[in-house]
Amino acid sequence: MIRGSAQVESVASEPRIGVYVCRCGGNISDVIDTEKVAETIKLVPGVRVSKVHSFMCSEPGQAMIAEDIKKEQLNRVVVASCSPFLHELTFRVAVRRGGLNPYLYEHVNIREQGSWAHHGDPEGATVKAIRLVAAAVHRLYHAEPLEQIRLPSHRRALVIGGGIAGLKAAVDLAAKGVGVVLVEREPELGGRVLGLARLFPTDDSGRAQIDRLVREVCNNPNIEVLTGTVIKGVSGFLGNYDIAVGPALAAGAAGVDVGGAKDKKLSVGAIIVATGHDYYRPSLGEYGFKRYTQVVTMPEFIDLLAGASGDGIQWNGQRIHRIGFMHCVGSRQIEGIHPPQGDGKVNDYCSRVCCTTVLHQAVHAKRRFPNLAVFDFHQDIRTYGRLHEDYYRRASEAGVIFFRFHGDDPPLVEEGVDGFPIQVRLKDWLTWGEEVVVPLDLLVLAVGMVARDNRELVNLLKLPTGADRFFQEVHPKLRPVETSVNGILLAGSAQAPMTIEETLASASAAASKAACLLAHDSVELEPFKARVDADKCIGCGLCFPECAYEGALVRTSVEREGKTVTLAKVNPGLCVGCGACVPVCPTRAIDLQGWTLNQFEAMVDGLLSAPLPSKEVTSESSSHGQTH
Amino acid sequence: MQGANFDVVVVGGGISGIQAALDLADQDHKVLLVERAASIGGKMISLSKTFPTLDCSSCITTPKMSAAFHHRNIQVWTSTEVERVESRDGVRKVHLRKHPTYVDNSLCIGCRLCEYACPVEYPDPFEEGLGAQRAIAVPFTNALPQKAVLNPRYCIACGACIKACPTDAVRFDQEEERLTVEAGAVVLTTGFVLNALELKREYNAARSANIISPLQLERLLAPHGPYGRVLRPSDGKVPGNVAFVLCAGSRDQSIGVPYCSRFCCMYSIKQAMLLSGALPTAELTIYYMDIRAFGKGHEQFYQNAKAMGIQFVKAKVASIEPVTGDDLSLRVELEEEGGRVAERRHDLVVLAQGAIPVFEPSKALNTPAAEDGFLRQPDPVRITWTGVEGVFAAGCALGPKDIVDSIVEAGAAAMEASRFLALRAAGGSPGKEPDQLTNPIET
Repeated sequence: MIRGSAQVESVASEPRIGVYVCRCGGNISDVIDTEKVAETIKLVPGVRVSKVHSFMCSEPGQAMIAEDIKKEQLNRVVVASCSPFLHELTFRVAVRRGGLNPYLYEHVNIREQGSWAHHGDPEGATVKAIRLVAAAVHRLYHAEPLEQIRLPSHRRALVIGGGIAGLKAAVDLAAKGVGVVLVEREPELGGRVLGLARLFPTDDSGRAQIDRLVREVCNNPNIEVLTGTVIKGVSGFLGNYDIAVGPALAAGAAGVDVGGAKDKKLSVGAIIVATGHDYYRPSLGEYGFKRYTQVVTMPEFIDLLAGASGDGIQWNGQRIHRIGFMHCVGSRQIEGIHPPQGDGKVNDYCSRVCCTTVLHQAVHAKRRFPNLAVFDFHQDIRTYGRLHEDYYRRASEAGVIFFRFHGDDPPLVEEGVDGFPIQVRLKDWLTWGEEVVVPLDLLVLAVGMVARDNRELVNLLKLPTGADRFFQEVHPKLRPVETSVNGILLAGSAQAPMTIEETLASASAAASKAACLLAHDSVELEPFKARVDADKCIGCGLCFPECAYEGALVRTSVEREGKTVTLAKVNPGLCVGCGACVPVCPTRAIDLQGWTLNQFEAMVDGLLSAPLPSKEVTSESSSHGQTH
Repeated sequence: MQGANFDVVVVGGGISGIQAALDLADQDHKVLLVERAASIGGKMISLSKTFPTLDCSSCITTPKMSAAFHHRNIQVWTSTEVERVESRDGVRKVHLRKHPTYVDNSLCIGCRLCEYACPVEYPDPFEEGLGAQRAIAVPFTNALPQKAVLNPRYCIACGACIKACPTDAVRFDQEEERLTVEAGAVVLTTGFVLNALELKREYNAARSANIISPLQLERLLAPHGPYGRVLRPSDGKVPGNVAFVLCAGSRDQSIGVPYCSRFCCMYSIKQAMLLSGALPTAELTIYYMDIRAFGKGHEQFYQNAKAMGIQFVKAKVASIEPVTGDDLSLRVELEEEGGRVAERRHDLVVLAQGAIPVFEPSKALNTPAAEDGFLRQPDPVRITWTGVEGVFAAGCALGPKDIVDSIVEAGAAAMEASRFLALRAAGGSPGKEPDQLTNPIET
């Protein structure tokens, strides 16, 4: 199962190490004396080549490394540059281009942990860089060539959530020949978009778009749909996830039809999380919510307007003549001004879609009922998207009256006078902060988008969430639809507020990434896994309680001197390489490939024995560096 | 190369094109990535840092550039312009014009000896005209490919480069090539350009070197920029009072750009933040209509900028006049003071120009452009489809958008293109998907 990992050959006896120090176009060299680092590190035994480059990650930098490996017969390489998060992989590939095993490479971070952290102390930062590079060189003395672990994988994906994001991801993947299981908690596919009578910017009904996608889903034999179903258990890893699903509500609950959903086991290679969002629920009294019946939320208003007859909008038997829209309800909240949410934090983010939603609905309402007086209360009008600004222009032309408030001084909703049920009082900053009172028949709260309470799913999938409670991507630009769990991807508003178009793009991007991961019948995993030396293992079992990843350590029986003994064995697919098992082993039988105890000891030696550049720069003088 | 065949041709080697090419290639499609400039990387490679994470832009662009360049399923052709894309009888024909670089790329080793030998300097396009470039040079430090390019407008044909070149790669007689490739699908990621700095005449950008474009400020802020620090162009003075004028080429019917350019608010806030780091004593003012901080983490970024002391003034900037000392006087209507008109003096002004399309759909794709000039998105469910069979688009080719949104959309376009190819291979007729070609905006 593991390709080549058994034959861990020790590399040519004599280490020939190349050290490459990056200036990062000044990001590093403005603080750290990179030339001095390269010069000094030549004194460390085994270092054959030591060079500096402005952008080591650029093509000339990479080519230089690859060429040196061949020319100088280097058998190990160190690059001192930015965080390994950014470029460790880049340089592993460069090292392989040079013909060397990519794991005979060590990445040293002298930017985030060097020049940026110590920009007031260039000498200290330079000394630190030398020590870190020396530690890496020592670590490489014990490096072994490693191979990625190749495991067979299921060419099938699980999509969680049957809203527009899940539907789109499913049809895209299925068209590529990847099998899809689409799981939806509700009895019907479609999600929140079904409730939207008119979408911007197309003016389609939500149902029309959903119907089209549902038709595609149902006509595709590659897609299995499980409605009324939730995820009950998740185990496994990229390419080999085992999923347990079951009915959304406890089976047998009186009067509940679970639509025939059954407990079931699924095997999939990747998971797309498309669980969507919730609307913000205003607290009691927030902008008069639940205090005055004439204060409603945007989803309620959308239904109200869609159902309004030819002679006008009616609410509670009253004809509506004056209507107001309040922006940023539950969004752009400020600590100390707005009460905290359940987790003690305020919703300090923008919900992105509400401004255009307000103006789209306002334009539509004005067109149907030209005598309606419409008022808009905003902080900024954020009609950023394609055709969105058009609604702003049309709303202005249609006579919508705009008021602007400051976020730290939100408008008040009060009982009205002169026959009006409510009124809004605010300082209007489209003028000079003049206090204005606007009598209304109805106030619509443009409620923001909030993360769903996904606690169970978060625990099952072990996914990180951000301060905004939405699921967190690995990196917004480098890996925008991937999570930190390999093989689990994000689609749509489970990740952040977004419009329907943006949701569709995100769903397709997640499907694309899943299609890349499942392009072949096998997947490749990093080799940084625990390894048990069967000769040293005495079967004491101390490591088992330390392992937090079910199935990563397994018991295996072997014959030893005529007796059957139980030893520990690692399942490399499930082991995450956390190392918790290593220190409890009394015989040092367990080690982490690529991060062995020997290597850690060598790093300490390297740190302490590092040659320092000259007399005036010593560790002592750097410790006297000013604090500021 | 004539008659070469690919699964997909991706037009435009900016971040959207690179991402689309990578996603397609990872799904085993053979991809041709075509870039008009001499290097891939697009606008993103020239930026200093990116909002809202303040990642160094080079640092997150170069790995993607490098990954695309070395991918076994991707061929990269630079200095190559797409003249026309034809979609007919189930085949996409892409007509290309390969511009002469006057260097044989198969011989050039990127050693830069020609560049050092060249006696001619001209304003460096990569540095937005702020630094100097030799008439023959590798376009910029982390350009990909690392090949020299000769600029015939400035070359004096002295032959110094020919003598200096160790591999005899310089070719004064190189000529333009025209070629046509066939592909199953095309992804257009042609990006945007900024409208002219001088477009709004009342801002007088033509009369002052200290009215600069945001891309120039990006170069001034980049650690490896033209001066290594922030100096104003007219006299090299360190600016002490900088103004950012938002919507200086967008949301303005009078110049034909009624739409929002979407990323200007955020990059201006970012630039102000970076300036406050580089010039701690400088006064920084952002004149705005609305602050559109709508993306993930953007609002928090905006609030941080306010807390740092950057001034946000809701105002219309009526005019900008050069005054003594190379400074600038802004006539502003202060909205929060009841529309009072004030004169504000600054020593450097950055105009947030509007983003407009590069690609001309009616000429190059035989399909009308949308009202805003960008490619159309006629299908509300397949948003990256251009309305032409087998031709998809992503990023700013479909209207301005930031890097994150562009990268996500590039993944989506790759998916649609790959799906199109799969359906076609299965004998389906993907062109017959529901026809929704009506103009989506009602009139």
